[in-house]
Amino acid sequence: MTPSPPSAHPSGISLNHVTKNFGRKQVLTDVTAELPSGRIYGLLGSNGVGKTTLMSLICGHQFRTGGRILIDGIDPVENPMVLQRTCFVHEDQLYNDSFSVRDILAVIPAFYPTWSAETADRLVTRFRLPLDTKSKKLSRGQRSALAITLSLASRAAYTFLDEPYLGLDASSRSILYDELLAEYAAHPRTFIISTHLIDEVADLMEEVVVLEDGVVAVQTDVDEARAACFIVRGREAEVRTLVGDREILTERHLGTILSATVRGAVTPDDRTLAERTHLTIEAASLQEFVAALGLHALDEVARKTEVAS
Amino acid sequence: MTPSPDGRPIFLEIADQIAADILVGAYPEQAQVPSTNELSVHYRVNPATAGKALNRLVDDGVLYKRRGLGMFVAEGAPEALRARRRAAFADEYVRPFLAEGRRLGLSLDEITDLIHKEDR
Repeated sequence: MTPSPPSAHPSGISLNHVTKNFGRKQVLTDVTAELPSGRIYGLLGSNGVGKTTLMSLICGHQFRTGGRILIDGIDPVENPMVLQRTCFVHEDQLYNDSFSVRDILAVIPAFYPTWSAETADRLVTRFRLPLDTKSKKLSRGQRSALAITLSLASRAAYTFLDEPYLGLDASSRSILYDELLAEYAAHPRTFIISTHLIDEVADLMEEVVVLEDGVVAVQTDVDEARAACFIVRGREAEVRTLVGDREILTERHLGTILSATVRGAVTPDDRTLAERTHLTIEAASLQEFVAALGLHALDEVARKTEVAS
Repeated sequence: MTPSPDGRPIFLEIADQIAADILVGAYPEQAQVPSTNELSVHYRVNPATAGKALNRLVDDGVLYKRRGLGMFVAEGAPEALRARRRAAFADEYVRPFLAEGRRLGLSLDEITDLIHKEDR
């Protein structure tokens, strides 16, 4: 293998025109992003858009089809040093069937020089993980709790959490968010979290990366993402006047009423006009913004297919 | 922390909350306020967001930094906060309240009567 080219960003993850095909299906068409280390990122986007695939490529668990990936300036492909610095417990992680939770917790620390037994013990207690239960007998929620325990206790410089809350009840999710922030505060590192419960996790993130249609549709600070779109509702003609030539991501109709999700920030002029023409303007939550981007991408695909046929 | 419906950034909401806590005397002048990490865990927000809230209050002269020690309530901060809140009172409360009264067809006298009744 040729040595990796030196990176302009030695500290963090650098993605350069990354592509990934499964057979003839292209999942990631052109992913480019710089993710400086030491932040909590939210990796968002519709189902099947390639979030899990991208995380696997960054950790070197899968091979990319094209492009360049560097993690702290090193190509992750077959690099044991990168494996030590990354932790990604997959949703359908296979453990040896004969292993109990206790056995798994005894084996995994060998892979991580940064392992914290204290964190592992604390999370096992808080999640009430059954130490003597065999891995294949664990419930969905218990598998998630085990994955979170391994991920946080690894203290890996780059920790990937792929929908970590699956099957967890509200109080266990609360434990996850508290422990994540406490770990991050005490031992700052990079977390990349994929999630569909966007509004529940949004405040934990510093930056969001939205994947849509195989590319990075948006990468921004959470506050900016929140201000990146708004919802205006009222009589259709007045709504269209207010929107002007700005992009409407999604529209919902109810008789003569139009509710439009508009890309852009609300201006003082918008507020004045809305008051005069009886329109309501609301901030869109991050979840609404990401959902609107996803629907918009679907519409675009449908339009392209229509033109082609 | 729940985001406000008008899309105000969370760090401003947290800054307001700390300011409100200073106003009610939770942190007297020269007292230390919670650290970025403590605020982060308490409000369940990213430490960067908590840091932005503290910096906003430093910029406003409400808090000051002691290198290596943390953030402290500035001398005269509670009084300054109260003065600022009073100045905003007309804009934030009185004007919308009058506008709604007028929309409902209430006269100024009727509105003043209502205020006196509530104050009893």
